[in-house]
Order: sequence, then structure tokens, then C-alpha cells
Amino acid sequence: MGETILEVTNQRTAFATGRGLLQAVDGVSFTLERGKILGVVGESGSGKSVLSRSIMRLLPGTAVTGPGSRVVLNGQDLMQMSEGELRRLRGPQMAIVFQDPMTALNPVLTIGKQISEVLTFHLKMGKRDARRKAVELLRAVGLPQPDVRVDQYPHQLSGGMRQRVAIAIAIACEPDLLIADEPTTALDVTVQAEILDLLQRMVRERNMAMVLITHDMGVVAGRCDEVAVMYAGRIVEKAPVTELFRNTAMPYTAALFASIPRVTDPPHRKLDAIEGRPPDLINPPPGCPFAPRCRFAEEACRRTVPELEGTATHQWACIKPLNREVAA
Amino acid sequence: MHYLFRRFQRLFIVMIVVTFVTFLLVNILPGDVAYEMAGMDSSEAEVEAIREEMGLNRPVLIRYAEWVGGIFTGDWGRSFINKEDVWHAIMQRFPVSFELMILAQAIALAMAIPAGMLSAYRPNGRGDRIIGAIAFASVSMPSFMTAILLIYFFSLHLGWLPATGYEPLSEGLWANLKPMILPALSLALVEWTILMRTLRVEMISVLQENYIALARAKGMSNRRILWVHALRPSSFSMITLLGLQVARLLGGTIIIEQIFGIPGVGRLLIHAVYTRDFIVIQGCVTFFALAFVTANFLVDIAYAWLDPRVRTRGAHG
Amino acid sequence: MADISHSNAASAGAANAGTEVQDKHAAAIALHKRRTRFGLLFWIPLGWLIIVAVAAIGAPFWGLPAPDEIDWAYLQSPPSEAHWLGTDVLGRDLLSRIIWGARVSLTVGFAAPAIGVGAGLILGMAAGYYRGWVDEVVGIAIDSWLAIPGLVVLLLFAVIFGGSLFMVCFSLGLLFIPTAARITRAATLNYAGREFVLAARALGASDFRILSKEVFPNIIWPLIAFILIDIPIAIVIEGSLSFLGLSVKAPTPSWGGIIAEGREHLSTAPWISLYPTLVMFVTVLSFNLVGDAIRRRLADVREGAI
Repeated sequence: MGETILEVTNQRTAFATGRGLLQAVDGVSFTLERGKILGVVGESGSGKSVLSRSIMRLLPGTAVTGPGSRVVLNGQDLMQMSEGELRRLRGPQMAIVFQDPMTALNPVLTIGKQISEVLTFHLKMGKRDARRKAVELLRAVGLPQPDVRVDQYPHQLSGGMRQRVAIAIAIACEPDLLIADEPTTALDVTVQAEILDLLQRMVRERNMAMVLITHDMGVVAGRCDEVAVMYAGRIVEKAPVTELFRNTAMPYTAALFASIPRVTDPPHRKLDAIEGRPPDLINPPPGCPFAPRCRFAEEACRRTVPELEGTATHQWACIKPLNREVAA
Repeated sequence: MHYLFRRFQRLFIVMIVVTFVTFLLVNILPGDVAYEMAGMDSSEAEVEAIREEMGLNRPVLIRYAEWVGGIFTGDWGRSFINKEDVWHAIMQRFPVSFELMILAQAIALAMAIPAGMLSAYRPNGRGDRIIGAIAFASVSMPSFMTAILLIYFFSLHLGWLPATGYEPLSEGLWANLKPMILPALSLALVEWTILMRTLRVEMISVLQENYIALARAKGMSNRRILWVHALRPSSFSMITLLGLQVARLLGGTIIIEQIFGIPGVGRLLIHAVYTRDFIVIQGCVTFFALAFVTANFLVDIAYAWLDPRVRTRGAHG
Repeated sequence: MADISHSNAASAGAANAGTEVQDKHAAAIALHKRRTRFGLLFWIPLGWLIIVAVAAIGAPFWGLPAPDEIDWAYLQSPPSEAHWLGTDVLGRDLLSRIIWGARVSLTVGFAAPAIGVGAGLILGMAAGYYRGWVDEVVGIAIDSWLAIPGLVVLLLFAVIFGGSLFMVCFSLGLLFIPTAARITRAATLNYAGREFVLAARALGASDFRILSKEVFPNIIWPLIAFILIDIPIAIVIEGSLSFLGLSVKAPTPSWGGIIAEGREHLSTAPWISLYPTLVMFVTVLSFNLVGDAIRRRLADVREGAI
């Protein structure tokens, strides 16, 4: 067993809306060890992005965190911390890479400035040292001509290069936890693999822990140690990646596998292959939230919400799991 | 470059139209200059003599062409009343008006930026609502009323600042600034609200941007996020307004210079209006229009500084 | 400064999260109601405006001294039983002068925006509907108009046309043309390309018919909102003009004029300037508050309709 970096227990996050309370994250628990990568997979609206912001404690004012939610980073309970204390953790201990590199960088500040300010602010580095370190970081993330790029503005870079810059910003203070929130969704297919490889390399080289959030089962395949599948704000299946691929238990997970785009597909094929839409999170239906869209759903599925069950390594929230004898 | 050229073209046409219409109004419509100059009980012959002397009975278009030609060569004509050279008169007074405007804008910005930030930071919060109420009261208070109240309070009641007067810079910086404070404040107390509201609206949307979320994720302090990350991308509309407001402010200085007895271009114009000194009026209006057009050009340049996307567009296609 | 994220407030007490949620929900609903319903900040200023309007319309019937009647016993006297708001240097009753002055302010306040918006409507619709050279000419006219400070235009007009109430309304109205024309042009451009207008045109409707029946009803709301903003502005500009003595001619009292007259006597008889200043401030503020409330209501109604 490695050193535990992150421990999330029963995280519940809701938003006050005009219609009522929207339960975006509904009782999520997991732990993450140093050097490991956890993939969090789900459709848009499944609560995975809210989960990432809940961990960073970067929620808007309308958000309400449920009682009993606990996020422990390096043994520190983030729920008990003041905003000022949290601020000191963001950067040096936890960092995030956002989905869209086109909008995640400040258009009026140079790239070098956006990297070095983290260093001067948190590590109290001098301006000159911070700049040197920024160039070094840009080189580390594979940006060509780092000493020229450092003085350029985001609009002068391509999307892939900007995402490299965003990664450089995230790793600048050597955080223990890196959250990558759909880091490749907004990028060209050709660049996606490069960015994912880079993230994976950074985690291994710097011995961090990473939560990799994506809607694409194909992304987690070769890169994650463990995968958590999210649906309607809950984790519905969790297992080491090979186990998950080999012994899929949840019909939803199976549907996600079926929706992985293949090279053999005709271009512009509609990727959203799962019939129906995610449930209304303000007035959720009774029973299993996936039941209305599930081919295998029975009467019992619509009555009670299934709890996570299974073995120590592989859990699922389904009363009729696939590929296995129904436990008595 | 193409864009700037087209702007320039348009502004040139605008200047022609403005000067021509002003010239027409002043020269064709009632209120005959020659009658005014000849005095109440003058004979028709005397009036005719004045017309002849000033070339007023030649076709309007020719006189206009001459006058515009004169503008380019620095000959803006001479006052009918005291024979003072118009260009010289304007140039002598312009620095005074300019100082007043710059001071007013500086005060307005110094009020608008922190207030706009505070409002945008928590829209509909307590601070936002208090600032909104103050702004509401401010716009309902025209500058001449503010001036009266400021004079009553700070000059007559407290005796801190003079109610009227002007001291040139040669008398010392403080001596020069002291009588300028109340006039500039009178103008600023109206101008700041519109700047503040513009900044507030734009900053509210900027604070929703992903790069602000990233700045927070980087652990930056709120002060740093507001001043370093959010202010510049939020100030484009405000800068545009700063340019457009020059027109309003030029109008505002007229009345403020009159109240506080400040010898600026506005006072020159008002005096010309009272004495029907048409050539001076014509010159002042032209000057104001030129100032407005120039201010708007400067705004375009300010954009380039604010937004690197504009600045580097030429170099990177 | 407090935190941007609000996350602290949100998670402050995990224990009382339940009530917090209810509070937030209630606050959201209350905020919505505050937006849509007319509150005290609408009714009080409206009440004031009605008082001012009634006082101004009925000015001759209140048994007040005439605004130009000189009371030799009360020269420059502070507020008293005989003269509630005092008298000016010439012994004229201030209350009477303020009420008569309100006639000028209110007339200009309503007439000038109406004239400006009317003319701007025609120009803007023509520019937005016909495009081409019409658009170009109107554009240049508007730009030229905007290049001269409004007060300078008015000074010019005041000298040339003199200071009758009609001319003041007219020349002030001209100031509102550019913005009204721009708003109308943008809205016309927007609607002139829509299906229902194209359909009407295909059916052989005349340009006038299309503009009045199809385009006009769609741009009336932004223009009403614009007029609401313009009324207090017109009152303020008239005040500035009469402060400079370039609005209505001397014996007719106007607010700016009274304030200007009192300016010389601010140290000895401050009430001469301060009372009209206060009345004008409250009136302009009331127009702003009422206008703001109505505009918000209009916006809500239209949002709801869509």
C-alpha cells in the first residue's frame, strides 16, 4: 500500500436553483494513493466536473455541501479550512487542468507571467528565478522554443500548446494531487494522445496522484490504475481498469464501452450512443437512476436505489449485474 | 491598417459636415452679424459697410472654403468684438480646460474602478446595492447642482477650498490644483457612475470566465485576481466610454468653468455666445469637434495596449 | 476583502446545511419577486412626481403670489409664515417660482424626448430598412451630430433661435435623435430580415405598411425604455441651459435659472439656491427610479412572453 494522498468520503454537492435543489454529486467516496491515476468516467451532467471542483473547494456561491462530506488531502481535512488556508494548498498541494485551454488562460497576460506568478506567490521566488523556472517548465511539458513562447500571449499558441501551458501551470509548484478535468475534450484528435501521454509522464516522473476526468472510456483504457464510473452524481461502478474492461458489471458501463469511437467508424458518427437522457437531478425518479434507460431494467430496479456492493476491488451499484451469477 | 484608414476617412467626412453645418447655421440664419456689430440704431448704409468690410456679402460656399482653408493654415479668424486671434485665444485657454478634464476623469476613474470591482465581486450583495444607490443619486445630480452644493459646503461652510478663481501652474503645483479640486470633483461626481456601471457589467461576466477559475485554482488572492487578472480584460467598454465621454465632459466644462470662473475654452465659448461673437463660436465648436475626434483615435490606440490580440494582429496574421 | 469563491459560506456549517438550503431557495424566490413587483422605491417617487405635476398644472389656482410679484417687505427673507420657502433678492416667493419653474421642466422633460425619439424612429427605420446610401448618409449625420458636445449644440441654437419654450423643446429634442436612430436602426435591421417581414413583402405589402405594421410593433419596447431614460436627462439639460441663462427668457421662472440667481447669494441667502436644487434633485431621482422600475418590469414581461 502506498501513501494515501486523497480521501473523499460521502461527498454531496447540491446547487440551489429557481426550481429547487439540484443534487449534482450524491455521496461519492474514494481514496487515491501517490503515483496512481484514478479515471472518473461519465456522460456530461453526471457530476464529474462538480466533483473535481468540490475536491478543490472551488464551488460557486449557489453550491451547498452536504453534511458528512469529507475531503482529506495529505491528512488535512479541507472542510475545516478557511479560504486563506485553502488558498495556500491550491498550487503547492493540489492543482487542476481545465477542459478548454482556449478560455482557461488569461488573454491579457503573457504565458510566462501566468506560470511565474504561481512561483512568486506561493514559493516566494524572485522574478528572475521564476521566469527561468517558467522556461524550464515549458520545456518539461514539451513546448517548442520555450524561451520565445514565455513572452507570448495565449492567442499566439495553438490549442494543444495552450493545454501544455496549462499543465505547466498546474505542475509548477509540484502538487501532490493533479486533477485533469476533460483535458483533451476540446483538442484535435491528433493532439489528444500527446497531451494524455504528457499527463501520464508527469504523474510518474513527479510521483503525483491524478484524478483524470473524462466522458471517453477510450481515454482511461491504457492510462488509469483504477476507474470510477459516475452516473447522476453517484459512483455506479469502480474497479481496476483491466477488471472493469474484462468483467463489466453495470449495464451503464457497458453502454459507455459501446460508445467508444472507433477508427473504423465513419467520420462524424454520433457519439452519444446511449438512448435517452440522464435523469432530472432536481426531482430524481425513484429507484436506480439508470433504470429508465436500461435494457435490463426490471420492476425491482425502479423501487429502490441500489447501493455499491461487490468485492474489495470491484464494486457496482446494480441489483442485476452483468456477467456474473446473481448473488443470493 | 485598412480599418484605421476607413475610420480616418469617416472622421474626415464628419469634420467636414460639422464645420459646414456650423458655418451655415452661424452665417445664414437670423441674428445678422453685421447688425449686431453696427449696434441698435445704425443706418442701413453703416450695416452694409460692415458687411462689405468683412466680406459677408459674398457667396456662402466661397466664404466657407476660405474659412476651412484658414483652419489648416492656423488662421481661424479674428474676434468681431476684441479683434483677438481665435486660434491664439483657444490655444491660450485650452491647457486650462484640458487640465480640468484630466483631473475630472482621474477622479472619476479613481472612484469608478474600486466601486465597480466591489459591485461586480458580489452582484446583488450588500456592497453592490449600496454602491448602486449612491450611483443612482449621483446621476440624478447634474454637475452644476453638485458644484453649488460643493461650494456651499467646502468653500462657504468649511472654508477649505476657494469658490472661484484660477492660478497658473507657475504659481506652484498646489496653488494651481487647489482651485481646480472642486470643479473637477463636480464633473467627476457625475461621470464616475457610468464608468462604474460599465466596468461592473463587464467584470461580472469576466469573473465567470474559465481563466478566473484557473487563477483561483492557482491559489491567487482575491485582490490579485481582481486587479491583475480581471481588471484589464474588463475595461474595454470603459475605455471606449472614456473616449466618448470627452464630448460630454467638454460640454460639462463649459458650465463648470462658468460657475468657478476658470478661464478655459468653455468660458471663451460662453462669453462669445453672450456677446454673439460668431467667428469665435464657430472656432470653438470646430475645436470641440476636433478634440472629440482626436480623443476617439486615442481610444483606438489604448485598445492596442489593453488587448494583446489587437496589438499583435499585424505581426501574426 | 472576503473570498470570491463563496465556498466557505456554502460549506460553513455542514450541520445546518438543511436550513441553509431553504434560506437560499427562499432568497432566490424573494429576489425574483423583488425584481418583478413594484415596491416602495416605485410608489414613493411616483407619488412625488404626481405632487409636482399637479402643483405645476394647477399653479395659478393655489392662491400663491405670482412668480414675478415683488414683496418689498420680504426681500431675500428666509422661509417664514408668509413665504414658506422664503424669497429671493427681489422679494419674489420661492415656492411659487419653483412651482412655475416645474412647468418648464416637465414640459421640456416630456416634449424633448418625444420629438427626438419620433425623428430618430423615422431616420433609424429608413436606414435599417433601405440600407445602402440611405444608411450611409444617416450614419454620417449621426456621427457628425455626436461629434459636437450636446450643450454646445444647444448654445448654438439658443443664440440663433432665441429662447422660446418651443425652441428649447425642439433643440433639446434634436439631441436625442442619434441614439434613438441607432437603436431603431439596429432593431429594424434585426426584424427586416425575419420570415414574417419577408412573407409580407412577398404578398406585395408596401414599404410603409411593412414598417408600420410589421417592424414598428417590434421596436416599440426598446424605444419606450429609451424615452424613460431620456425624461430626467432632458430635465437636467434644460436645467443646465437655464442655469446659463440660455433657456426660456428671463421673467419666466425655471429651476436652473433660480439656482443661478441664488448662486451669487449663497453665503447670505443659501435657501434661494438650495431649495430649487433639492426639488430638482428629488424630481430627477424620482424619474430615474420610476423609469428604472418600469424598464425592469418591461424586461420581465418580455422575458416571460418569450
